[in-house]
Amino acid sequence: MESSELERFEAIVLPHLDAAYTLARYLTRNDHDAQDIVQDAYLRALKYFGGFRGQGSAGDGRTWLLAIVRNTAHTWRRRHRSDALTTEFDEKLHSDAAAEHTPATALDSDSARQSLYQALDRLGPEFREVIVLRELEGLSYKEIGDVTGVPIGTVMSRLSRARRRLQETLRNREEGE
Amino acid sequence: MTHRELELQLDAYVDGELAPEDARELEAHLSACGDCARLHEARVALSAAIREQVPALRAPGALRDRVRATLRDAARTTRVRRGLPAVATRWLALAASLATVAVGSWRLALSGAGEDALAGQVLASHVRSLMPGHLTDVVSSDQHTVKPWFNGKLDFSPPVYDFAGRGFPLIGGRLDYVGGRAVAALVYGRRQHVINVFLWPTRGSVGGAPRVATRQGYHLLQWTTPEYAYWVVSDLGLAELHDFAHLLRQGDSTAAGPAAAPPPP
Repeated sequence: MESSELERFEAIVLPHLDAAYTLARYLTRNDHDAQDIVQDAYLRALKYFGGFRGQGSAGDGRTWLLAIVRNTAHTWRRRHRSDALTTEFDEKLHSDAAAEHTPATALDSDSARQSLYQALDRLGPEFREVIVLRELEGLSYKEIGDVTGVPIGTVMSRLSRARRRLQETLRNREEGE
Repeated sequence: MTHRELELQLDAYVDGELAPEDARELEAHLSACGDCARLHEARVALSAAIREQVPALRAPGALRDRVRATLRDAARTTRVRRGLPAVATRWLALAASLATVAVGSWRLALSGAGEDALAGQVLASHVRSLMPGHLTDVVSSDQHTVKPWFNGKLDFSPPVYDFAGRGFPLIGGRLDYVGGRAVAALVYGRRQHVINVFLWPTRGSVGGAPRVATRQGYHLLQWTTPEYAYWVVSDLGLAELHDFAHLLRQGDSTAAGPAAAPPPP
């Protein structure tokens, strides 16, 4: 590969490393696996970069990369299905996230955050990913459809169901306390 | 409109994805229907809570370095691998080429069967290093990072120079295994070419000019200093590889020039 081609790839795809890591981390709920998935996804992306560039300037590097990360993560989950089912509450993710955020009212906020994380953890992956892509990455329905490979109508209904489930889980929790 | 359809519209509305005429219609409904207004409020609150409490993450610095290094390695090997068939076939071809090396088709004879076998191992290590993820254990263009990296990994401290000022930037180093011992492998670049330098301590006699062998498009240079045995392997043109060997052989005096330049801020 020409070095100029690698430079183009790095310029277009490397800036989205944080987005790639965020998606992989919330999908796997595990730092180590997320890092492996991101690395693997970048290698795949490099391999198929010619195809991406063939789509012309309309192609969005972020959406394209996130689609690869997402597929890599799903392949990984199928391979580790038995593990994934027993994945515990990811303490490190939650403490990392907590460390990056300084709440105004620490106690209430901590408990609210934990509830939210646990509610997210209980969502199926196809629902969790649309929440991450929409709320954390700020993708449009069209872009989420490109990443997840489903029609916009499906994106819309998955997001709606995901939010309803989150609200139900959070409400049940409040009532249980 | 059913409640479910309303809920779908409401989410699209919260996300700013609802067509303007539908949005106006929904807004009119919200002002008239308390249940839907409460649902709307709850959804806006949920969305805000997620954005506030569940952060987008920053990739760890180590991952950033790893991805960059992997991409560089992969981009290099793409050139080597282009047009070749599947992995198994490649290895068969490689084994065949090494067998040919072992029976000896050196342009200039090496000093014996032992050295001939060594050349085969050095070439095999070079080719293996070009496969994805095998090039470097430590990635750095700074000799003051690469040299100490070998501490505790080898029973000698290899001399490491950066020749970036001469067009042969140091890429990194790795441990390798040649001739029945752990050796230092230093990796240099020249445009798209990779140069592997293998070295280990020796008490052998000091030879004169580097000896040259060529096989399968790779050049191998071999020489001995009072302290070390050197093997240099690359697909770089022989003239440039000799230039590189010359820099290495001049050692400290020449290397001190470009390498002593302060690192970029």
